[in-house]
Amino acid sequence: MRPLAAGAQPARPGPSQAGALVSSEPKWGRAAVSFDAFSNDGLIAVVKRDCPTCVLIAPVLAELAHHQPLVVVTQDDPAFPDTVPSRVHDAALDVSHRLKIEIVPTLIRMEGGGEVGRTHGWDRAEWQRVAGSDGIGGGLPPFRPGCGAKNVEPGTLERLKIRFGETGITARRIEIGAEEDEVEAMFERGWSDGLPLVPPTEERVLRMLQGTARDPAEVIGLAPPDLAPATVEKIAINAVMAGCKPEYLPVVLAAVEAVLDEPFAMHGVLATTMYVGPVLVVNGPVRRQIGMNARGNALGQGNRANATIGRAVQLVIRNVGGGRPQEVDRATLGNPGKYTYCFAEDEEGSCWEPLSVERGVAPGVSAVTAFAGYGLQGVVDQKSRTPESLSRSFAECLKAIFNVKLAPACDAILVICPEHERTFRDAGWGKRRLYDELYRLCEIPGEELVAGAKGIAEGGPESLAGTRVNKFRPGGLMIVRAGGGAGMFSGIIGGWAASGERGSSPVTKEVRT
Amino acid sequence: MADLESRGVPVVAVATTEFIEAAAVQAKSLGTDPAYVFIPHPVQDRTDAELRALAEAHAEKILSMLTG
Amino acid sequence: MSVLLDPTAERSPGIRPRLKRPERLDGLTVGILDISKPRGNVFLDRLDELLSERGIQVRRYMKPTMTRPAPLPLRQRIAGEVDVVIEGLAD
Repeated sequence: MRPLAAGAQPARPGPSQAGALVSSEPKWGRAAVSFDAFSNDGLIAVVKRDCPTCVLIAPVLAELAHHQPLVVVTQDDPAFPDTVPSRVHDAALDVSHRLKIEIVPTLIRMEGGGEVGRTHGWDRAEWQRVAGSDGIGGGLPPFRPGCGAKNVEPGTLERLKIRFGETGITARRIEIGAEEDEVEAMFERGWSDGLPLVPPTEERVLRMLQGTARDPAEVIGLAPPDLAPATVEKIAINAVMAGCKPEYLPVVLAAVEAVLDEPFAMHGVLATTMYVGPVLVVNGPVRRQIGMNARGNALGQGNRANATIGRAVQLVIRNVGGGRPQEVDRATLGNPGKYTYCFAEDEEGSCWEPLSVERGVAPGVSAVTAFAGYGLQGVVDQKSRTPESLSRSFAECLKAIFNVKLAPACDAILVICPEHERTFRDAGWGKRRLYDELYRLCEIPGEELVAGAKGIAEGGPESLAGTRVNKFRPGGLMIVRAGGGAGMFSGIIGGWAASGERGSSPVTKEVRT
Repeated sequence: MADLESRGVPVVAVATTEFIEAAAVQAKSLGTDPAYVFIPHPVQDRTDAELRALAEAHAEKILSMLTG
Repeated sequence: MSVLLDPTAERSPGIRPRLKRPERLDGLTVGILDISKPRGNVFLDRLDELLSERGIQVRRYMKPTMTRPAPLPLRQRIAGEVDVVIEGLAD
């Protein structure tokens, strides 16, 4: 919307506006007004009773009506103002929308079928100029600001834009019959991940798109397996279905951008028989701005932003990309994180830099890191008082990912709870020190990995004996702090066997508004 | 019919040609593409022998819509 | 009536695709559901014979009345006992 400077002149409306329009069939049962009457020479005043300035200038309208043609359009009370003999009751707000009213009172001068002057609020000099009438408004203060017009109230503006086809939304419209239940219809069309969806009406999608300044037609990436363009609009539709608020959309867009980035290898992540799905870690100021959870039960249920942002990404892959279980998605077991797996890092008070900063994003900039991961393996350690001992707890658990006999296994995220992080903070261990220690501890004597060792047929070739193999590839481990303040319970999010160049690499994208 | 399909059971419905338009209208309003085989109307006044012959004549079509 | 925006890539027509069919009926069970209109049973009986002659397993079901949809327990039973269904005879 344009800024509301008093007396500012909006651009002259084009010829298609003045006079040529006839109101279309009203959808909400209120009588729409023919627009033909508004192209005649003369003045148009748009007012509402619920505006002290409109009440103030009601006598001025009477003055004007004595000398020239004046149409008074009232937005709320059909009897207001009673200083003029008749008014047009713009109940459906069609007229106000077509006249592009933003503030009441607005005075418009029409000449030769087009608008030649306009002012809003009460400014005596301006009203005299637009009306071409020197003496009006003498008894009033020279200036009084106007009020917001009814047609631009949130919700109303969207409905009007939808009614007049001005939304810029291009998605196919799907009609749901009166006998059908919307929620059931969405299940039956295969749009759902098994849980109910929020019906993506045009109003809801329009509101969602207001969460970003990006163009609805902008393509964020190509969604596998169909390699279909994931536009901002399509992502917004799925974000509505997921239950997102409009303010979450920038985070959803960054997350989709990350998973559709080539190094993430989304097609492989989708098509694998292994467990993984996108896991999203959010950093930066956006976490608090939209109320994400980085503390108690951060990886569990209950927080709308955590729950719906992850779900939106999953629905985009399902609906835009066409990736569904038992079709291209061949996961044997999958994991519950494939519904949604999104949480915020607990950055405040941590002795470590946030994951995003570690990965190259400037401090204080919001970002999303996408990781191909699954589930949560607990690391319980309620006795370690030293960083060395706690590191060993972590390492022994890390070495069990997939199978103790497999190395390298996959990438992993080690989610360290605040009570465990405190042990490292008290000992002055920076992140680099902890990483180095964990990589060192995750080196495994090759003979332990040979097929048949420990009586387990799984494993590697005999040639591993005498070598040392790391559980992780270089850079395969990421550390994040999250969780509630009470409890010495950290967790490991395992990854995908194909990692790095051979498969999926984590991808970090900044959140753009 | 839609209900059985929602339970994972493919269905083919057999109806007389009188039903063609009704089937199309229902399909459009529900947004589905149901499998139908239409046999000539009427059915009520046919002899048993005629009905059996109709079954024989349409059996292949019906089976083909249950597979592939 | 409500209007929803399509969340998909719109590559398929705006209708729900038909359920995937098995490649062959060998070893599968075909349910024949009589919707209880008069004379339909003669037609369906003959279909039953033709399928059985081909060695296809057939199970027969009947709606209690033609005026209402099949009751839920019947639908559940059919879904649990057969792989595909022939439903008839509507006129």
